[in-house]
Amino acid sequence: MNARGAIAGLALIPFLLAGCSREARQLASDQPQTAPSGPADPRTARYAANFYQVSQGGRYFTWYGCGDCHGRLARGAANLANGSRHAVEALYTAIAAGQSGAHSDYAARVPAEQIWQMAAYLHDLSRHEPARNRRNALDQQGEPQGNRWQGPLQ
Amino acid sequence: MAGAAAVNGGRSPVPLVALLLTGCSGIQSSLDPAGMQAGATFRLFELMIVMCGVMYGAVLLFLGASVWRVRRQLAAAPAIEPADPGLGKGLWAWGGVIVAGLVVLATGSFFVERALAAARAREALQVRVTGHQWWWRIQYRTPDGRWIETANELHLPAGRTARIELGAADVIHSFWVPNVAGKMDVIPGHTNVIDVSPHRLGWFRGQCAEFCGAQHAHMAFDVKVDSPAAFDAWLAQQGRPAAAPADAIAARGMAIVTGGACGLCHVVRGSAATGRAGPDLTHVGGRRSIGAGTLPMSRGALQGWIAQPQALKPGTMMPAVPLDGADADAVAHYLETLR
Repeated sequence: MNARGAIAGLALIPFLLAGCSREARQLASDQPQTAPSGPADPRTARYAANFYQVSQGGRYFTWYGCGDCHGRLARGAANLANGSRHAVEALYTAIAAGQSGAHSDYAARVPAEQIWQMAAYLHDLSRHEPARNRRNALDQQGEPQGNRWQGPLQ
Repeated sequence: MAGAAAVNGGRSPVPLVALLLTGCSGIQSSLDPAGMQAGATFRLFELMIVMCGVMYGAVLLFLGASVWRVRRQLAAAPAIEPADPGLGKGLWAWGGVIVAGLVVLATGSFFVERALAAARAREALQVRVTGHQWWWRIQYRTPDGRWIETANELHLPAGRTARIELGAADVIHSFWVPNVAGKMDVIPGHTNVIDVSPHRLGWFRGQCAEFCGAQHAHMAFDVKVDSPAAFDAWLAQQGRPAAAPADAIAARGMAIVTGGACGLCHVVRGSAATGRAGPDLTHVGGRRSIGAGTLPMSRGALQGWIAQPQALKPGTMMPAVPLDGADADAVAHYLETLR
């Protein structure tokens, strides 16, 4: 490699490293305890812009069995297979209480941090092509879904 | 070690070696085999140590002899050594010794592999172990075709061969109970099988042996080798649904487990808690530890784990559940009574 190429390569490194912070996670015990206070809540950006929080949201969406009603075969309920275009704080409210109180006890049963993560996940899903979302769903097939466990990834 | 050497005046190395070897026995050691597979691998290891020790000794011997010879020649009359007709033969003989050693090791390895493979014909119990971030789901197949589930505590009957089928729900893990058998990787999308034939009763420790994320080190499990009769009784007991709460505090705990956050991810068979994402809690009080070997089982440890799992095992998938002190204690008491 000539000198100019090496310099160009070195100049690229900061841009590559910038990608690493998108998954940064804090292993501290400062989980949110409350719902978003509004569109300007600083936690919204912390969850929606962080890939680790988004992917955790996907796991809890699967584990809590949300796909039973909101998956590809959503019957009556909103099909969320490709996400939702609502804002994160609106999604939080929808998960915690549901339309016309359909989720009336979810806010009491699901800890606030998991609702934050699922809201960020649904918000993020809508930004991708359906093919990528189907791929994500395939990767999560080994995970338990609600009260079902179909065995490990085969 | 320094103390032992001082007591002996540095004369005898034996106590020193004995002291070093005490690190080799224990509940998580492949140098203290308690099963057929671990024993066979350990004998191969011994063969390798003896073979390599002999070779190493021979090399040092030749080195010492040549140094001694050269020093003697230098003292007498420095001269260039003439072409030595014995050197060629000596090198050929040395090559022969190396090949013979390798043949012995390869033969030993062949017989150990054969012994491990022969266990497949004696499989008497089917167990399915699934690796999750960061705990182990363990399921036993009963003779009548049911599956009985537990977590993070593997019981095995002594003198019987168990076929352990390994699957992963998320990423690559590795199943390792060094006292009983070697490692076997746990791969998503593929079922690996390892046979284990333990013969010594007791408690051992298993550990995930493939880095699998933040809490890989806290992905351990207890292993209990029981007599066949005790194992059958244990399995029958594990198959029963959970006992009804015995007192008012336990009843309050049960109401929180089934109606609160716990039941979304954990199952207590015989109750309304039916989640499958986390470990089965039907007989959790009978287990030795919680959080996949993170803490010893006790009411206090359960309470701390429920209140703030992220402080005890940062990154664990178990969320912190906001409960006041009395409620957390009631849940801990209920879980402790689930034996």
